[in-house]
Amino acid sequence: MRRLAIIGLILAFGLALVCAPALAGPTLDRIEKTGKIRIGFREGSIPFAYIDAKVGKHVGFSVDMAGLLAENLSKRFGKKIKIVPFTVTPKTRIPMVVNGTIDVEMGSTTYTAKREEVADFSLIFFFSETTFLVAKDSGIKTLADLNGKRVGAARGTTNLKAVRKLAEEGKFKPAAIVVTETHPQGMLALKSGKIDAYSTDRSLLEGLRMKDQNPDKWMTVDFAIAYEPYAYICRENDSDFRDFLNNTILWAIKTGKFFEIYEKWMGPNGVVPIKMSPAYKDYLQMIVYPISEGWWKKK
Amino acid sequence: MGLAYEFDWGVLWRQPYGLWLLKGVGLTVIIGLSSWFIALALGIFIGTLRVTSYRILRFIGTFYVEVLRNIPLLVQMFFWFYAGPMLFGEHLGRKINHINELNIYVAILCLGLYTASRVAEHVRAGFASIHRDQYQAALSTGMTQMQMYRYVIIPYALRLIIPPLTTEFLTIFKNTSIAMTIGVAELTFQSYRIDAETFHGLEATTGAMIIYFFLGMAVVKFMGLLEKRFKIPGLVGR
Repeated sequence: MRRLAIIGLILAFGLALVCAPALAGPTLDRIEKTGKIRIGFREGSIPFAYIDAKVGKHVGFSVDMAGLLAENLSKRFGKKIKIVPFTVTPKTRIPMVVNGTIDVEMGSTTYTAKREEVADFSLIFFFSETTFLVAKDSGIKTLADLNGKRVGAARGTTNLKAVRKLAEEGKFKPAAIVVTETHPQGMLALKSGKIDAYSTDRSLLEGLRMKDQNPDKWMTVDFAIAYEPYAYICRENDSDFRDFLNNTILWAIKTGKFFEIYEKWMGPNGVVPIKMSPAYKDYLQMIVYPISEGWWKKK
Repeated sequence: MGLAYEFDWGVLWRQPYGLWLLKGVGLTVIIGLSSWFIALALGIFIGTLRVTSYRILRFIGTFYVEVLRNIPLLVQMFFWFYAGPMLFGEHLGRKINHINELNIYVAILCLGLYTASRVAEHVRAGFASIHRDQYQAALSTGMTQMQMYRYVIIPYALRLIIPPLTTEFLTIFKNTSIAMTIGVAELTFQSYRIDAETFHGLEATTGAMIIYFFLGMAVVKFMGLLEKRFKIPGLVGR
């Protein structure tokens, strides 16, 4: 069974290579011709792209962004462009873009140099930050405030790696690094005073905070010690489409639509509340170049 | 298609991974020996309590054994580490929580207390296997009950239970791996850490297995020597 799957994959890649000339035409032309854009979504990447059991459809931050993309495409071609959703997994998302099954993957993919070798990526639209959860009255605001404090992280996480690396490099001097088995245990360690700060992704920390009896007693700090940038995946050598995708992101930031969508999914009342860090806010403002109404028109 | 996994045994001695394993072994041995010391001392005491003729002492012994041996070690570790300090009130609890390497101390204590309950059972069994004539003979020489236990019964019983104690001694080394769950960087923890950093978990785990095996063999050999050294001809053994 496994061997069959592997042979199938190889065949699929081979076919993709053979058919490549047919697909090489700019994605935009094909979208105009068919009136459809094929987009890959994850089924469990909350709150970016996941299947909502109630409606049985993909929903999430990135799915709403895909809606904006289709809207802009409709404006460009003067006709309704429909989204054909595909479900992708971390294993299939890149091959499916590369072989042309989907035009773009919009989920929560970390942008890495290794992946850049095989596919193109949009602008970075989100940062998953490794940061700390502390008591509000602890007075911890900067990395320096953590000197002499006890910090915790879960075993086997990239977060623990980041904390250790920073301590080894002497960037901060914690009194101790306490390793916990799970995130809830980390929260317990924080609540029972074993540690003064607990480290993992900001989204997870906010989730832990919200589940506590006293969410207002805790806060994530404004700084981060490591970042995982998220971007959308598109095909290589198709800069027209990639520009269009990027401009959709920029236009959304400029018009404030981006923040509305963010608020809907990650605001205080969203599915997973994730506080926008000042650095992230600055980044969003800084990447917007002058862009005005009508950018979507063909030049 | 061959195996997609490529073995790289170098992680076992390449730095810093080799050093991690070494540190892990050190901590495993320290925790194992320290908790064994507690387990032996407390276990003999509790085991003796369970056979004395005082009802209250027997009750204390039985209570201890039943509570400690009926709760999984994993749960006990978690409880003592996270809830233990809270039992001392807010102020003292905070101080305890700030002790460096608290998890190692908790692991030693917890493992020691838990194994003591098992040692106590072996000790009790040892007592039970000594013929009642021995007890009566000791008492008839004018010994007090205390003296009878101290000079006759316990020295006997301890010799009898060396084989089952060997198993407990072995188990205590294997159980040190549970300390990983409260963040003690012992041998298993370090092998998992190497896995997380290098994705060569198979090699690291195999390395850990071999080390555990030799630790165990050392214990078996040591206990075998003890057994020989303290054998009373014609009484214990073949």
